[in-house]
Amino acid sequence: MNGRRIWGEAKLWLVGIPIALWTLIPIYHLFLFSISSKDSAFGGALWPDHPTTRNFGIVLRQDHFYLHHFWHQIWNSLLISVTTGVLTLLVATTAAFAISRLKVRGGRVVMNAALFTYFIPAAFLAVPMYKAMSGFGLLNNQWSLILAMVTLASPYAIWVLKQASDKLPVELDEAAIVDGATPLQLFRMVYLPLMAPSLVAVGVYALLLAWNEYLYAFLLLSNDKSVTLSVALGHFLSADDSPWELLMATGFLYALPPAAIYYVFRRYMVAGLTSGAVKS
Amino acid sequence: MAAVTLKDVRKAFGATEVVHGVGISIQDGEFCVLVGPSGCGKSTLLRMIAGLEEITAGEIAIGGRVVNDIAPKERDIAMVFQNYALYPHMTVFDNMGFSLKLAGVARQEMHKRVSDAAGILGLDELLQRYPRQLSGGQRQRVAMGRAIVRKPQVFLFDEPLSNLDAKLRVAMRTEIKELHQRLRTTAVYVTHDQIEAMTMADKIVVMNAGNVEQIGTPLDLYDNPANQFVAGFIGSPAMNFVPGRVNGDIIDLGQGVSLPSIPGLKLQSGAELVLGVRPEHLAVSDGGLRAEVVVVEPTGADTQIFCKLAGHDINAVVRERHAFRPGEAVHFKPQLVYAFDSASGARLA
Repeated sequence: MNGRRIWGEAKLWLVGIPIALWTLIPIYHLFLFSISSKDSAFGGALWPDHPTTRNFGIVLRQDHFYLHHFWHQIWNSLLISVTTGVLTLLVATTAAFAISRLKVRGGRVVMNAALFTYFIPAAFLAVPMYKAMSGFGLLNNQWSLILAMVTLASPYAIWVLKQASDKLPVELDEAAIVDGATPLQLFRMVYLPLMAPSLVAVGVYALLLAWNEYLYAFLLLSNDKSVTLSVALGHFLSADDSPWELLMATGFLYALPPAAIYYVFRRYMVAGLTSGAVKS
Repeated sequence: MAAVTLKDVRKAFGATEVVHGVGISIQDGEFCVLVGPSGCGKSTLLRMIAGLEEITAGEIAIGGRVVNDIAPKERDIAMVFQNYALYPHMTVFDNMGFSLKLAGVARQEMHKRVSDAAGILGLDELLQRYPRQLSGGQRQRVAMGRAIVRKPQVFLFDEPLSNLDAKLRVAMRTEIKELHQRLRTTAVYVTHDQIEAMTMADKIVVMNAGNVEQIGTPLDLYDNPANQFVAGFIGSPAMNFVPGRVNGDIIDLGQGVSLPSIPGLKLQSGAELVLGVRPEHLAVSDGGLRAEVVVVEPTGADTQIFCKLAGHDINAVVRERHAFRPGEAVHFKPQLVYAFDSASGARLA
């Protein structure tokens, strides 16, 4: 190994170690709190003297004032984020197919508009969105959050899927057209299977965006039984004497589904299914 | 099977016309090759026959039916693409059966037709593989299989061999030719490789800059090129061109080199022209055109001599083995000389 390679490797570590610490320390902190008793939580130890699973038991049994609707709220989070993921995919895939493959008129305008929406921070749109939803009579209805999340996720999703579908060789479409495929058959039998990796990535993005959403969920939903778990977690801080260990235990449980989703779909996040389609 | 007729077909992208009124008549069962340099419009023409490009003006008929406004799938054609365009998520079987599936052909019939095509192309063992598990030649064969199972009236090939290595290209060339002799389906084949055109075609259409330069059988084009472009494009190594000037009974090539006028050439003294001689029509002799050797390349079967004739690079291919040294003088006796108009390139004699 020569000097340059050692230096290259060292630079990698110099960047990698701080990033790893930056990411892992809060998670470790979260976990540490959730396995500590109320008294020792703020003890400052790197590992509690008497680690306990009692906090998780309380959360799962909904055995605390703030946790009376835990299962209901996690179900809300799940329902809203999965629906957001599915609807975003529906909107974005059809839009990307129409713009990139069918080359519809005005496609460029849609793409530029999609990009432009990101010049406006989502927080600025919170109040207009609230007014719009109230106009539709959807306040405190979970559809309001779903629709808001689809609106926020779609432009990016369309952008990503358009870029990905531009990479699919146009000859595949032409071969399918000569083979007798209608645009809908082309979409279903050729386009969707080949876009699968990107669809998974975009679907997961929209799902996690909705899962992690706090501001819009807080604004649009208010009933204890309709709020998502993220809002419920915020409620923990409404008292002076917050049960930190329970907050952290709930937070830890709240973080598990995204981790599981990433683990399951990690293959799709990087896979390229198109190899072998055309000679490159 | 069907004849394909193109009448004054034009294609414009915006204000730019790229195909300028092309007329071709391809007989039923004929193997027609469109050949020309890149950008000459041959692929666009093929895509117009397929229905993948709209026709700006003119008329295309397949089997006597005008297809200008008919969708590709209704034209009863099958196309083989340069980069294969196989569906990567489908097995070879599904790739080949895709069109039948779309057409609603019964499973059993589809099985039979795919197996038949696979048998013809030697793909039986590969039906359950995916395109990524195949070699370049196998992929190309699957692409052809996909075309065959449809039993179309016309096969369209868009430079199908240009992605293969040289050795495989020669083998596949023979294979496609054999396949055509067996199926006798009308084929339109686009290539920029004149050797492919010469070896495979019943009829060659030479195109340049959106125009048809000449249509004819391979040997017809070789023996009787209509103009300088066709003469230079067909034949390998390419024909030598040397400018000259008529001077009474001789044609002066400059630097004191001249040759007797060509029978049938009716030009007055002082007229300028371009002479063309194929490398294989130059024989080394004791007298005749004097040239200076630059490089000698023996290939075993024959010898290629690169030299300067009156200041112009020319190239001769002779059967005998010669060991000329660079700078040495050599004399050629041209056996067949063509004459072209120096401005228009049209054949004069």
